[in-house]
Amino acid sequence: MNDQWMNRLSEYLDGELDSTERAAIEEHLATCGQCYAALADLRQVVAQAKSLEDTPPATDLWPGIRAGLTPARGAGVSRPGPARSRRFSFTVPQLLAASIALILLSGGSAWLALRQGPTNTAEPVAVTRPQNSRDASWTGSTDIAIGELQAALTQNEKRLDSATVRIVRKNLAIIDRAIAEARMALRSDPGNAYLNLHLADTMRRKVELLRRVNELAAARS
Amino acid sequence: MPRQVLEDNLTADSIAADSALAASGDATAFERLYRTHVARVHTLVRRMLDADEADDVTQDVFIRAWQKLATFRGESAFGTWLHRLAVNVVLARRKSVGIERGRFIADEDPLGKVSGRPHTPELSLDFEAALARLPEGARQVFILHDVEGYRHEEIARMLGVVPGTSKSQLHHARMALRRHLDQ
Repeated sequence: MNDQWMNRLSEYLDGELDSTERAAIEEHLATCGQCYAALADLRQVVAQAKSLEDTPPATDLWPGIRAGLTPARGAGVSRPGPARSRRFSFTVPQLLAASIALILLSGGSAWLALRQGPTNTAEPVAVTRPQNSRDASWTGSTDIAIGELQAALTQNEKRLDSATVRIVRKNLAIIDRAIAEARMALRSDPGNAYLNLHLADTMRRKVELLRRVNELAAARS
Repeated sequence: MPRQVLEDNLTADSIAADSALAASGDATAFERLYRTHVARVHTLVRRMLDADEADDVTQDVFIRAWQKLATFRGESAFGTWLHRLAVNVVLARRKSVGIERGRFIADEDPLGKVSGRPHTPELSLDFEAALARLPEGARQVFILHDVEGYRHEEIARMLGVVPGTSKSQLHHARMALRRHLDQ
């Protein structure tokens, strides 16, 4: 074993040695079983570190956080001192993203209502989210709603005839392509209002389509 | 577009939307951000500090995030911004409780008290236990570099050390953990 190289195995592993040093350590590794074995172990340690999973706290910390957000005022929560009078400015994408989220939320609410039974399917979909009235089943972010809508479609497809399924899939593919193209265009011009509106509208169409198909399937169950 | 990619994009959109809504004072949107990110923040805090402090510090991170949301301009992902804020809170906490830089000097056998086990499906639990027993400095560098993906230059700036110290602490941590895994 050569301590000089043993102590530099991590740098070698991380690609931080220059070409001369790298060649020298590789020459050493070819003849030193201990350093070779240590390097293999270090790789395993690094891999283990990357595979560590996040775990939530044992108790819900939100009540304590909510209490620390300064006292509630009206439907919302007031901001502390100086920030209260601050003017907030959002980019066009941020504001549009907010509107998309509201649309998605309404779609998710429709799906949640759908799952409660046929009598609820006629419930109109709210355009805006009710203040301070979170659905108990709606504990996650809006991606859960979309995920559920799409998962529901996968489940519900079997209740629909094959021609309908084919048309739905075709339309979803068209919408997905339009969304992808809009996103690609926005990468080079993020502030383009037309593109952002187009993307928002296209995504709204997707949510509407998913919601309607699920309603149709639920009605046939 | 593959479904997973679409869902990832929608997730990013919904988080961006919630951060904008929360910045305008919508606590419900902020709660959704909390629920999306709390596991990552709490895990980071728990690993970097003592487990006993994790709940309090995590709450502090989110309260600070609420207070600073107006400064979040959306140039980076909200999760990245929040994570960096969490690291800063943790490091400030470490400083405030008087952890001295001397703690960065490696112990003789930092994992001597950790009993080793053969490789099992519970390996990650053992690994977490071994990680918790590392000396402060080595543990923080290891977490920031190998778990969280920061570079040595960034870590050195955050911890107030030179990059060489960060590199040597990382190697020390890896070798210590390697010894544990070997047992």
